[in-house]
Amino acid sequence: MDIIILLYETIVSTLVSMGKIALILVPVLIMIELARHFKIIELLTGKIKGLLKFISLPEEAALPLFAGIFFGIVLGSALIIEYSREGFLQKRDLLLIGIFLSISHSVIEDTFLFSVFGANPVIMITTRTILAVIITRGAAYIFDHFSNKKVA
Amino acid sequence: MLLLIKIIIPVSCLVALLDYFGIVALVAEHFAPVMKLFGLPGEATISLLLGFFINIYAAMGAIPALTLSPRQITILAVMIGICHELPVETVICSYTGLRIPFSVVLRLITAFSAGILLNLFYGMVLGG
Repeated sequence: MDIIILLYETIVSTLVSMGKIALILVPVLIMIELARHFKIIELLTGKIKGLLKFISLPEEAALPLFAGIFFGIVLGSALIIEYSREGFLQKRDLLLIGIFLSISHSVIEDTFLFSVFGANPVIMITTRTILAVIITRGAAYIFDHFSNKKVA
Repeated sequence: MLLLIKIIIPVSCLVALLDYFGIVALVAEHFAPVMKLFGLPGEATISLLLGFFINIYAAMGAIPALTLSPRQITILAVMIGICHELPVETVICSYTGLRIPFSVVLRLITAFSAGILLNLFYGMVLGG
């Protein structure tokens, strides 16, 4: 009997917290879809050259990178896979995008979701972005250094 | 949304059952020393593991069962945010040429270091 009551209480409290999640998640997902539809990312790419330069990526990398950051790896995967097939980017750049996205992706959705439970959104986004930038920069350094040695 | 319900409700029931039979306490006890590095209670291991192997929503299914301070939730959120849904996402990332084992190790290490760093950061700022 205990178990049934326990399960019942769990389901009720889960539904309540899911209601809270839905209230936040649905508008966010709609906004993300709208942003995708109106190609907001394409408009933004011109303005983030500084960051791209710092992690030593060419401008063409902006689209898959930012699609991943804002929409998430699964939603952005279409773009990521397309870019990897079409050969717009060099292998090195593609790999760096992969590393950056591994650490920092779908920041909007994740952040909203966890803030429902009381997480601090500013700290979440800052930590992930800073770590992603540092690690990608480091990987770029190692990668260039290593491949130069191999050539020479 | 339906997909969400399909994941979160079974997961939270499972966690409640595991808790009932004392398995959560057992896991928590084993991992408590590691979790202490992140300033998290041992029980948070469950949420972390669910996040790693299934996805963010499963990890969230386990959160209501825990009593966490905002500081702990933030740390947990960053760790899960960096490292989650490994079976699906590492495959997608492998299209960029990032090998799957490498990507898994990279994300685990980053998540753990983020947890430790944030815990230290909070300790310094709040003095606790």
